[in-house]
Amino acid sequence: MIPAIEVHGVWRRYPPAVEALRGVNLTVDRGEFVALVGRSGSGKSTLLNILGGLDRPDEGTVGIAGVEVDYADGNALVALRRQTLGFVFQDFNLLPSLTAEENVAFPLLFNYQGAGERARRASTLLEDVGLADRADHYPREMSGGEQQRVAIARALIADPPVILADEPTGNLDTRTSAGVIELLRQINRERGTTFLIVTHDPEVGAEADRTIEMRDGEVVA
Amino acid sequence: MKLLDFLSYAAGQVTRKRMRAVLTIIGIAVGIAAVIGTVSLGEGIRAQAIGAIEAQSDLTLVEVSAGGGGGAMHLVTGARAQAIAGLPGVDAAAPLVRDSFASERQTYLAVTGLGAEGFSAVLSPSYAQGRGFSPGTNEVVLGADIWDTLRRYEGVRLGEPVTVLVRAYADTGSPEDRKIVLVPVGVLRERGDAFDTAVVGDISFIGAVREREGHYDGLLVRASMPAAVFPLVDRIESLGLSATGSFEEIESVNRLMDMVVVVLAFFAAVSLVVGALMIMTTMVTSVYERRHEIGIAMAVGASQREVLTLILLECAVIGLIGGILGDALGIAFAWLIDAVGKPFIVAALGEGFAGISTTGITLVTPLLLVFGVVAAVGLSVLSGLYPARIAARQDPVEAIRSRR
Repeated sequence: MIPAIEVHGVWRRYPPAVEALRGVNLTVDRGEFVALVGRSGSGKSTLLNILGGLDRPDEGTVGIAGVEVDYADGNALVALRRQTLGFVFQDFNLLPSLTAEENVAFPLLFNYQGAGERARRASTLLEDVGLADRADHYPREMSGGEQQRVAIARALIADPPVILADEPTGNLDTRTSAGVIELLRQINRERGTTFLIVTHDPEVGAEADRTIEMRDGEVVA
Repeated sequence: MKLLDFLSYAAGQVTRKRMRAVLTIIGIAVGIAAVIGTVSLGEGIRAQAIGAIEAQSDLTLVEVSAGGGGGAMHLVTGARAQAIAGLPGVDAAAPLVRDSFASERQTYLAVTGLGAEGFSAVLSPSYAQGRGFSPGTNEVVLGADIWDTLRRYEGVRLGEPVTVLVRAYADTGSPEDRKIVLVPVGVLRERGDAFDTAVVGDISFIGAVREREGHYDGLLVRASMPAAVFPLVDRIESLGLSATGSFEEIESVNRLMDMVVVVLAFFAAVSLVVGALMIMTTMVTSVYERRHEIGIAMAVGASQREVLTLILLECAVIGLIGGILGDALGIAFAWLIDAVGKPFIVAALGEGFAGISTTGITLVTPLLLVFGVVAAVGLSVLSGLYPARIAARQDPVEAIRSRR
């Protein structure tokens, strides 16, 4: 089986003296629900940005869904973000000027979908994350948990095989966190979506199939 | 369509900061209005001047004469005269010969020989006294001014033969005057052109006074309507011949007014530049404020080109609204010039431009309004290039990390 994420010998240096990643190797299988843990500065976020094509490695190779990422090809990176990956952020990162439904549909603006199709898919996904009645609400009118659910629906809109999440429960209280983790797990089971979740939250670790730990730019467990 | 979706998204972005958008739009609109107002003043004066020329002169009469293009002399031959007579927009054409005679008291006589038929077809002469000349005779008609001179100082009367002198040169080179007899049979009504001082006779008679080389001295052409004159002149000139007539006055008015309009528009355009700089500042600010959002857009799949397009479309929306508003303000401005400035201008120009007091001194043409919108959109998009590049070249990681 082709792994969802394959990282070989990835180095990332920030001159003059920082080595954020020091030869990282890891593999995430298709359909896995993996937690990536480690202290601040251990390189988790750098790795996530590189996997997402937002940053580039100085050395090593990255494969996403069986395709090696060519970091020199801007169009390929754009296509990767559009079709293969979904992002979920710690602080939700919804666009404040758009309603929940418009936020969910937003990525399709760049994915060549008509307005009708965009709205239809967005409204189905909002239903899936339990926010059908919030479709016309703006982010400022919603709780943190609701905003994160909208963000999760947005990450799913292009039906990507892999979702990268950066502290998805970092800004939520314990009860809300549990709901969000439950939702992510449910998506993982029902759709077979691969999750790589950077987290400090032990609840996420407990729910995960596997936990990868990083320290000082290296994978230690 | 994707561009349409982008446009509606961009329009939504413009309306987010309503006050700022309104101020920016007013900035560009004022610039457009200034250009439209001043240009409309120039166009209005141009239209008045051309109207005055058209009313006072015989615009559709064009005289063709030999032209010297590219070192070769192009003469008005019979073939060329026929070719011109067959051009579109030509109602009638009459070849002519010219000569100069003198009266016995040495009054200069500018003599034109025309076919009797061509004469009436091209000039539709109307007579103050008498009638037209008959073909093949030595009868002539006189212009109003020359008739006045000859009648008063030389006692010439209609129907009575007049002896005139034709200056010729003997083989030895010494001048010798020949005498011929003309019979004035009619006097033209005053026309306000060269025919007032002309003596017109039959081409076969006038043309036979001297030996000629088988070509005409010119060709009178009557165009079917004023609008046909300029294209006709172009065709005539492309044959290597030259054309003269009242249309030249319009050409010179146009040349003058082109200059005036360009100078006026230049000064008005300064305010347009200020408007463009406002858009640039607004958009740079707006792009920095939205760094975070632009980063998100890139993370979810917007390419650099798409970010660039979105920002430029925002500018285009601002420009479009600004242009339309500017057109409206420009019309109002032109109206204000009419209302406030007209009395002064009428007083300064005097009675000759009295027509202005009934119409307007400004003229807002549809083309000018189209230009207003196109210029506003174009300038706005141009001003947006720099902010759009800033937006598109952001590092998405940095942009997402930055907070509003």
